[in-house]
Amino acid sequence: MKTAHEIRPGNVIMFNDSPWVVQKTETTRSGRNAAIVKMKLKHVLIDSSTETTFKGEDKMDVIVLERLDCTYSYYADPMYVFMDSEYNQYDVEADNMGDAAKYIVDGMTEECQVTFYEGKAISVELPTTIVREVGYTEPAARGDTSGKVMKPAKIVGSDLEVMVAEFVKEGDKIEIDTRTGEFKKRV
Amino acid sequence: MTTTSSNHWDIFCAVVDNYGDIGVTWRLAKQLANEFSIKVNLWVDDLGSFAHILPTLDPASHSQTIQGVTIKQWNQPLDLPYSPGAVLIEAFACELPDEVKTRLAPVKSTNPVKPPVWLNLEYLSAEDWVEGCHGLPSFQPNGVDKFFYMPGFTEKTGGLICESDLFAQRDAWQADSANRLSLFKKLGLSGIEQHHKVISIFSYETEALSALCQYWAKGSEPVHALIPKGRSFNSLQSLLPCDIDQLVPGQQLSQGNLTIHVLPMTDQQGYDRLLWSCDFNIVRGEDSFLRAQWAARPFIWHIYQQEDDYHLVKLEAFMRLYCDNLAFESAEGWRQLNLAFNQQRTDAVVEQWQNINSVGVDLLAHAKQWPIDALKTVDLASRLVQFVQK
Repeated sequence: MKTAHEIRPGNVIMFNDSPWVVQKTETTRSGRNAAIVKMKLKHVLIDSSTETTFKGEDKMDVIVLERLDCTYSYYADPMYVFMDSEYNQYDVEADNMGDAAKYIVDGMTEECQVTFYEGKAISVELPTTIVREVGYTEPAARGDTSGKVMKPAKIVGSDLEVMVAEFVKEGDKIEIDTRTGEFKKRV
Repeated sequence: MTTTSSNHWDIFCAVVDNYGDIGVTWRLAKQLANEFSIKVNLWVDDLGSFAHILPTLDPASHSQTIQGVTIKQWNQPLDLPYSPGAVLIEAFACELPDEVKTRLAPVKSTNPVKPPVWLNLEYLSAEDWVEGCHGLPSFQPNGVDKFFYMPGFTEKTGGLICESDLFAQRDAWQADSANRLSLFKKLGLSGIEQHHKVISIFSYETEALSALCQYWAKGSEPVHALIPKGRSFNSLQSLLPCDIDQLVPGQQLSQGNLTIHVLPMTDQQGYDRLLWSCDFNIVRGEDSFLRAQWAARPFIWHIYQQEDDYHLVKLEAFMRLYCDNLAFESAEGWRQLNLAFNQQRTDAVVEQWQNINSVGVDLLAHAKQWPIDALKTVDLASRLVQFVQK
């Protein structure tokens, strides 16, 4: 059992005897430090999606499914194609990629975990942090080095926009937390 | 226990902060019973605390009906019979007893068309994400969906608790200036004259309060600070001639032009009238925060402190909404005052207090208009009933 707070996109959870793949999680803070976790779920077996909320401490069954370490190869609409260390290819439907899709860029080398249900690749889980290059961001205002002032930055090779510290420049490589989409640091 | 379903509603409330959670749920329960003729069972785990805001409550009685609401003692494990009704509300994400959760599934299987509507009534927040979570289902292991009901300030949220006749009552009260002096007299507070500035204070601990009191003491006009025994006084120990434990309701402590009055505890109607009668209110948490808005008087909101200063995000979200139609100078003064108070910046809070004096008329006019704008004609209880019917 995992708490809702620990669930990550790509996990498959069971409810009412049905497997649901978690496509997106969004954690917000309610009163008194309690967390509310909003999830987008897609039914693994039928074409059905839903949005749902949990208390951060709600417990749920995460199905342990077959998982393989893979790297991203290419996109062949509507499939994202991943490859394992033995050069086997696995297609994952764009609909099943959830939030992971926005971090996918050509040539990325990070190992992802592809999850299988009854032989079919149903989801992809990214590493907790990934490194991406900043393609465009406004120049820094003079003097601020605190890292508390944030500004938007576009990521090379994707439509992704991340709020980064004021001191980050075009061409910088930055670390992003894939669970929250937050900028972690400049690398 | 038998598995029967009826049309009653059950509200479970775990008392965490003495008067906040129970204050909100008690108001909601009363409104549902009185304005919608709904049979409501209010389960409370601390009747002793509840009795402070409902003096007619007998904390020793495990089940009693007051103002149309059946109030039940919620012991762990549950020792009173629970029978599922039409609606089950867990207030502020409190954890329902296992005896209740296990009773829900059988009702759903015997009556699959109309299972009990299970709601988690969440805390009030002005943040944008509230709209996206309001009304969403939450899958539960017992097979019954629970729904998150998010109070809020916009059309796409669950609304704000406000009794249908509240504004009319308030207007009638404020129209007669004699009401405020007679209330103060009834509360045992003496020495307050019509032209004196009266400020109610119900805050958490903060050095900002001590700074304001010291400023008022040195000021040129008489100020009366009305403070119930509790956490506010923890910040004022240096101004007191005795220990906090020794304070008694009605006691007056004078320093310069400031008179601190130790307020007796009052019921919710009495507290509303107090807020309506003061020139300025300092409030905390959720229940008194909302009632201060309905009082149509300027106020400071001392928000419940959260990890990583996240409470400041919630404070900013509310201030953005509140200041939307307020002139820049007034908005900025009021915003900075609230920030300084919550951040315990003693010099800044005094400076901002002086600043808002120059825009006091503007703030008062805005405070009168705000309740109308915020409520948007439909209150929480009405929206909740509609939600359940859908």
